[in-house]
Amino acid sequence: MNKKIVLIGLNHRTAGVEVREKFALTDVENFEKGLVANCPVHECMALSTCNRVEIIAVSKQVSEREVLDSLIQHWAGSCKSSPEVLLDNIYQYTDLEAVEHIFTVACSLDSMVMGEPQILGQLKDAYRSAVDNGTAKTIVNRLLHKSFSVAKRVRTETAIASSAVSISFAAVELAKKIFGDLEGTKAMLVGAGEMAELAATHLLHNGVMDIVIANRTFSRAKELSENMGGEPIQIEKMPDRLHEVDIVISSTGSPVAVIKAKEIKKVLKRRKNKPMFFIDIAVPRDIDPDVNNLDNVYLYDIDDLKEVVEDNMAQRQEEAFKAKAVVKLETDTFGLWLSSLELQPTIVDMVDKSEDIAQRELNKTLKRIGPVDNETRKALETLVLSVAHKSLHEPICFLKRRTQEEGSAERFIDIARRMFNLDEENIPPEAHLDRKPGICPPEDIEQLIDASKNKEQ
Amino acid sequence: MGLFESLHICIIALYALGTILFLTGVSTGNDKLKRISIWFASVGFFLNSVDLILVITKDANALNAGKFYFNILAWCVLALYFFLWWRLRLEFLAITALPLALLLFVASMSLGGIRVVMPPELTALFFGLHIGSLILTLGVLTMAFGAGLAFIYYDRKLKTKEGLSSIGKDVPSLEKFDRVNRWAVSLGFPIFTLGLFSTFFWYWIEPNKHFAWDIMKIGSLIVWFLYAFLFHQRIVLGWRGRKPAMLAIWVFAGMCVSLLHHTITFKAMP
Repeated sequence: MNKKIVLIGLNHRTAGVEVREKFALTDVENFEKGLVANCPVHECMALSTCNRVEIIAVSKQVSEREVLDSLIQHWAGSCKSSPEVLLDNIYQYTDLEAVEHIFTVACSLDSMVMGEPQILGQLKDAYRSAVDNGTAKTIVNRLLHKSFSVAKRVRTETAIASSAVSISFAAVELAKKIFGDLEGTKAMLVGAGEMAELAATHLLHNGVMDIVIANRTFSRAKELSENMGGEPIQIEKMPDRLHEVDIVISSTGSPVAVIKAKEIKKVLKRRKNKPMFFIDIAVPRDIDPDVNNLDNVYLYDIDDLKEVVEDNMAQRQEEAFKAKAVVKLETDTFGLWLSSLELQPTIVDMVDKSEDIAQRELNKTLKRIGPVDNETRKALETLVLSVAHKSLHEPICFLKRRTQEEGSAERFIDIARRMFNLDEENIPPEAHLDRKPGICPPEDIEQLIDASKNKEQ
Repeated sequence: MGLFESLHICIIALYALGTILFLTGVSTGNDKLKRISIWFASVGFFLNSVDLILVITKDANALNAGKFYFNILAWCVLALYFFLWWRLRLEFLAITALPLALLLFVASMSLGGIRVVMPPELTALFFGLHIGSLILTLGVLTMAFGAGLAFIYYDRKLKTKEGLSSIGKDVPSLEKFDRVNRWAVSLGFPIFTLGLFSTFFWYWIEPNKHFAWDIMKIGSLIVWFLYAFLFHQRIVLGWRGRKPAMLAIWVFAGMCVSLLHHTITFKAMP
């Protein structure tokens, strides 16, 4: 195949925020249309997020340098900047390296926070837009479908995204380890720091039923309660309300402990020892560390939470090795598909598959009718193979005709490979955008054929 | 080899496979292995049920021949495990339920043969009240034992903040483990009380039997007092978490010692 997959891009590792800002694509739709119109590419897709820009294209039959230069020119031009600045900050990949890179991006192995789920959603949006613009065709379609399924495989087979890597998410995860799902639990926010507010918001999104906001300045508590819901109270009333809540997030600016172990002992009695989880984000700390020595009470300060996050990050790094192995394997598989986008290997695969089916059906029949002499067996074999070959004549002729038309070879070969299931791939249903759910098991096909024939009669 | 022997070998093999696969699944974090092990245990449980039905239908006197008390115990442990799995999704408890079911089933083959002599018309009553309730209690306590061990282990991890990343996503919350303990205490203690005091009732209605205190009875009563203390602290004073978990482990241990003592004593009787 003379067409090449090329990818150019920049990310948080190769470019600073000023450069990323300058080369971010604000109008992806027009950018993609412009690429197809002005550069020697058949198809393309662009992804632009705050941390990266990726441009994938399938080149026409021109040299690799020519395609890359034109892509850089077009990108720099659309951002009204010089190509030289861009060249210093981008990476360039071709063919399987480009495929591996896009798989790595989809699996969030190249993200600033490894394993974060947003990038996959962003990639899906970018792909949808390219499909709508008509710039994503056979190869980009297949590449993106495959990258979604690789990302899914990585998420299910590795623990890359299983643990929290932010302080507020770590707090939510710990709360879940104590209380299970947080449905029906109640939280209290003591003080109104930004990080505590974020943790409280995450807790509310994860099922916490109600929240009490205690603050020295009542107006601030009221303002917060209007944003998040919940009940605002004066901080002086906090000790009387502690027994009602399961989770306490504290972040006041007090120089001394606001919550003491002695008080919590009494609170526990009133709560009949129901567990409590304290998150102390304040420095200096708001909660007496002795609170953690009480049964059924769990206290985490900011350093503890940071340690949890660091542990989780280290665990993700270990999982990344497994994930990279999956990406490598899937890249090789994709390489096989790419090289099969020629007519000759597709014809061979189609014939092999039909012969295989014919042979299997013959064996079944021979088993049913009992022993036959060699001559009969040979005649039957010739018969089934000839039916298998002849039934392929028309599809092969059609493919030969279509592949002689400019720009349609890959599309028809790809359709044929999928129709005859020559790659025996299992693409998850959600890999296809807009596909209605429903499967088609082989055992239903016979019924479908019978029903269709009966209707026809 | 007869039907019973083949059935017993199948059950042991299935329980053993289930145990090994589950423990391997837990140590390697392989969910598929854990799922397969539960399937093995389920088939084993089904065959165990078939075996029990066959024993009882074949010989009505089997109830007081006592040959299969441990066998019922193994069945009961798994029945309660499946119940908890259904209600609380506590797959994790298989870590104690499967090895114990295997152990009890194997023990039923070597420790069988305890004869309980009683008038035939009272067999079902005695069996239901005494043996049945004690077996049920032990099954309940087995679950509390597993949940208690898990609670103490994970509670320590959460308190000391060490090795938190080793607490997998599938590990149930502390609240769930505590719920098993509450359930074991509130349900298990009344059943145990019924089971234990039905023996005294037996002495009262049977003219040939005379009640006398011995180590066996004192041992059982000590376990009952320990269980009563746990029941009081949990239900009346509202104990939760680590303390009732520890106490449930002690009650389970006491119950096991008492059961073994009973078995050995009865076996030694003429």
